[in-house]
Formats: sequence, C-alpha cells, structure tokens
Amino acid sequence: MPTESPLLSVRDLQTSFPMRSSVLRRTVGQIQAVAGVSFDIPAGGTLGLVGESGSGKSTVARTIIGLEKARSGSVVFDGEELTSLPKASMRRVRRQLQMIFQDPYASLNPRATVEQIIAEAWQIHPDVVPPNRHRAEVRDLLERVGLNPDHAERYPHQFSGGQRQRIGIARALALRPKLVICDEAVSALDVSVQAQVLNLLEDLRRDLGLAYLFIAHDLSVVRHISDRVAVMYLGRIVETASQDELFTRPLHPYTQALLSAVPDPKPWDKPAREQIIIGGDVPSPADPPSGCGFRTRCWKAEDRCAHDVPELTTRLESHPAACHFATELAGAAS
Amino acid sequence: MTLLSVRDLRVEFATSGGVVTAVDGASFDVDAGETVALLGESGSGKSVTAQALLGIVPKPAGRVCGGSISYDGRDLLAPGAAKGLRGREIAMVFQDPLSSLNPVFRVGAQIGEMFRRHRGASRREARAAALDLMQRVGIPAASKRLDDYPHQFSGGMRQRVMIAMALALSPRLLIADEPTTALDVTVQAQIMQLLTRLQSEEGMSLVLITHDLGVVADVADRVVLMYAGRVVETGPLREVYEHSAHPYTSGLMASVPALDGPRDRLIPIQGSPPDLLSLPSGCSFRPRCQYADAVCADVEPDLRQLSGRPTHRAACHHPEGALTHAH
Repeated sequence: MPTESPLLSVRDLQTSFPMRSSVLRRTVGQIQAVAGVSFDIPAGGTLGLVGESGSGKSTVARTIIGLEKARSGSVVFDGEELTSLPKASMRRVRRQLQMIFQDPYASLNPRATVEQIIAEAWQIHPDVVPPNRHRAEVRDLLERVGLNPDHAERYPHQFSGGQRQRIGIARALALRPKLVICDEAVSALDVSVQAQVLNLLEDLRRDLGLAYLFIAHDLSVVRHISDRVAVMYLGRIVETASQDELFTRPLHPYTQALLSAVPDPKPWDKPAREQIIIGGDVPSPADPPSGCGFRTRCWKAEDRCAHDVPELTTRLESHPAACHFATELAGAAS
Repeated sequence: MTLLSVRDLRVEFATSGGVVTAVDGASFDVDAGETVALLGESGSGKSVTAQALLGIVPKPAGRVCGGSISYDGRDLLAPGAAKGLRGREIAMVFQDPLSSLNPVFRVGAQIGEMFRRHRGASRREARAAALDLMQRVGIPAASKRLDDYPHQFSGGMRQRVMIAMALALSPRLLIADEPTTALDVTVQAQIMQLLTRLQSEEGMSLVLITHDLGVVADVADRVVLMYAGRVVETGPLREVYEHSAHPYTSGLMASVPALDGPRDRLIPIQGSPPDLLSLPSGCSFRPRCQYADAVCADVEPDLRQLSGRPTHRAACHHPEGALTHAH
C-alpha cells in the first residue's frame, strides 16, 4: 500500500544534550546523541532498531515520545507533527503511542497493586474505559498478557521478572495504542522467559494490529520480530533494509562486523565463516570522528572517509547503506 | 589430568524468607588445559559455585555446608586453603570490571601490585611487568596508559585490565564469571578471542560462567548446565547442544531465536524460573516439564550416564523424551 501514509514518520531527527563545564556549569558544547535519523513505520509494522551502547537508539525512542526535546527534524505520528505539539494535544496523541521499558521492576510502582498500575492511565484518559468497567478491563488485559486475572490485587514484588514485564505490557495496552515502543523490552529476561514474551508480543501484534518500534542490542531477537531493521552507529542509521535482506546481505562494514560478532550456539551447522573482529570501542558521542563515524574501526576506510560523511542512500539495486564503498560491498556480497 | 574436582557441593544462604540452598549437590571436574562452560539462568547457582571455588561465598549469609572441592590434590574447603591459592593458582575475572578495580589507583600500579605483593618485585620491576601484561592483553599505547585511572578506560579495556591482573601470576585455573555480559557485542567478540588465545598460550584451565549459550559454543570443550542449584546435564559441548538429554537443555536451545534460517515461532519453556524458597518435590524442573510424571514428583533424579554416551550425563527420569523430541 504505497499510497497510504505511514503511522510513524521520522525525518532528519536530531537530539543533542548540552555538555557543561565542571565548575560553572556553563554549556561548553553539544553531544549529538541523534544526528539526523529518518525512518517510517507503517500501521501494523515492526521496525527493529539495533545498535551498541551510545548509538543513540534509546534517545530516538525518548525523543519520539517527548521525553527528550528534538533539536530539529520532524516526527509525524498518525498525521500529526509531534515535535511542535502543545502539551495538551500531546497527551491526547500519547494514548496511541506507548512504551515498554527494559527494567520491569524499576518502571512499576512498588506500592501500587497491579490493578492500580494498569488502571492509572484511565484516570488521565477517562474516556477510554469508564470507572465501572475498570476491574473487568484489568482482568481482560491480564488474561491477554498471560497472567492470572485473580492476581490483580498483588504487588509487583510478588511476580517474577517475566511476569513483571507482562504487567508492563498490560499497562502499555491499557490505552489501546497503535504503536508500542519496546526499548530493550526483553533484554533483562532469562532466555527461557524471553521466548515467552517474544511470542506474546507477536500474538498482540497479530490480534490488535499493533505496530512496534523494537529497540534492542540483541540481533537474533531483532531478526526474529522485525519486518524492517535499521542499524545505528554514533547517532546515525548506517543501514536499513527488510529483515531478510539485512541479515543475508549486509552492506555496511559495521553491520557485517556486528553480525559476525554475534555468538552462534551451533557454529558447526554452518560453513566455516571468517569472523570479522573489529578493534577498539564505539567512540564517544561527545567527540565523534570527522567524516564517517565508523572509519576509526573500519578495515575499508580511506582518506575520503575522514572528510565526507557518507549518505544513507541506495546504491545500485540494493538497500540503503551509509558507506562510500557500499556499491563495491554489494557486488561482493551478491 | 583432573585439576579441579567438585563433589556434592552444597551452599546455603540465609535470606529474610528462610534458608535457600543455592548450590544443591553439584559435582563436576575440570581437566588441566580444558575449557568448561558453567551454564545457567539467574538463580541456577552458577556464580555461587564459582564463589565457593575461590572461598569467597559472602559471609555471614552464605556458607558451604557440604561436599568437597579438591584442586590439584589439595582440599580447597580447608580453612585458608582457597585464600592461599587465590590469585596465584586460581584467578578470577568478574562481569563488572569497574567495581573490581580501585578507582583511586593508577591501572599500572594495580597490575604491578600483584608482582610486588606476591613476588617481592621492586617498583621498577613491577611497572615493567605491568606494561608487558597490558601489551599482551591488547591495550593500545600501553606505555601511555599505565598511569591512567580505571574510569579513563572503556568497558572493554577495563575488562582487559582485569584479565591482565588475573594472568599476572600465571594461574593454572582461570574462572571467568560472565566476563562479556556487560559489553557490546563487537567488544565481546574481542574479549572472547583474547581469552581463548591466552588460554592456549598459557595452557591454563578455563571455567566460563555464562547464561549465554552462544558465547561458549566456539570455545568450551565441555558444558555443565545448572538449574535451581543442581547440575542437570553435562558432557562435551557439541553433544549436549545437539543431543540435549534434559528437557530443560532442549527447551533452552529452542528458546533462542536463530540468526539465519526460517523464522519459526519460538518454543519457550513454560512457567517461571524456580523459586528457591519453595522448590517442588522431586525434580525441580518438573512444573515446567512436558515429560513429567509421578516418578518426577517423588524421586529427585540423579545425574546419570546416558546409554551409549560415556561422557554425557543428565539428571532426568525421561532423557529419551528430550532426545527423541528435538532431533
């Protein structure tokens, strides 16, 4: 449906944090956490946003939802521009736009019962569920996320980590959102429980027509749940493609290194692969390299990489990658 | 040659809810030069087992209350025995290097301290030895970084510093507890490569403790898989991964999304991780197990050798269930 406009459209989004001097707290510079990011998410679609620490992936999420202020760029959700929206209108839009956090314990009020936690949103948005329906609706939601509805009176500490994440999901669903941002939503869970929650997220997407912005550092989890994937490095998207395309034909050297670094539980099943191990760490966003952010760790870097920032554009027939050598890499990969 | 032998190890912890048995009869061996992966999810007892090996079970809450640990013929549970070997013979690398380094001392001095204290080295000798180690663990511009403080290093570089300190006295056994869990995946690959290189250079034994089935697949010879304080399956890594005999192991394997091939729906393990304060009777995994029957509720399964697999053992009454189901 190319004519239909996407549910979420992010264009050239930039978010920066002030760097302050240690004594006088004067602003001495800006840390560019998100340095021009663009992507679309269609209704019912899932975009996986992957990157290592400091890549800016969580800041993208926090800026979309209004927890950080965008320095420039646009965020259009369901036809409305969010970056310039007045507070009152933002509250209305936020109903449709919910978030699930990494640490389910830190994001649940320990003094509130599960019912109070889930029903709290309806006090701000009373039109969604009338007060006399709260109890029944909480039971429905608990059932939907695989929790015992009779446990609505319990407190967060009485649940395991996986169950707490289900409470967080139920709370996110309470306002019947169209888009749910999952920020490392399964990262803190044991693998046996993580699989349960991933299946739940898939079921909810199918049953409720939810769209996800799924932020994670775990590539196999992102591959499992995403339709499209965008790879971030130092505040920029360096490559984006359909899930299948990105994982079978990565073009950007960083994506190639990232995929190569993922530990494989059954290495003997595959043809022997040359593991790419890149040196060094992700540079500090406070002092990024000139030109291409990845050049300090890249085995293909040449002089021009230090001067020209490579644009995220499609070269030849393949998918967009922000690398001067993407054409050549595409040729080698196919 | 067996370097480390753990038999029926039991470790208890006093908690506000009562006494929990964090390690409940664990037994395994580590041969000289071998890499053993100690695998398990949270609450499995894998880290407490490592603490017991080093004699650093937190006191007074925790105590080793049974079993034996013998290292090179010596009883590690004898008073003072572990302390005498710690650092020299048995070294450890932890998940969070920042909390294991002293923030107010320069990194070179902290590494050199090992030589000064244990080898009676002079300040100058210790500094030279520290520099040599920092170069061996791949810290760039090591001579300039000797005088930096821990906070000036990135997470991956700090872990290299920890590894340098662990290797200082050429230990014969290195215990690494989630050494890459806090690191980004590209840095994790660097550290795993470093650990395996150093292990083959030094010929030391390596015990890798992790929750990540993938991290150890390329490097470990054998696997010891723990659940609720007990060893539930052990054997050569590839055999355990490909022919899992315990339903918990095969369940874990099915829970991990693949990086290639078809995207099938995941088959999770049902239920929640065990609550150590109220473990079920018999087999601890029984409430989550599709093969569980009356025997499993009555009799705690022993770690038994599987027929036709001399080095592969599982603590399950119905190992054929997992074996035939998964393959």
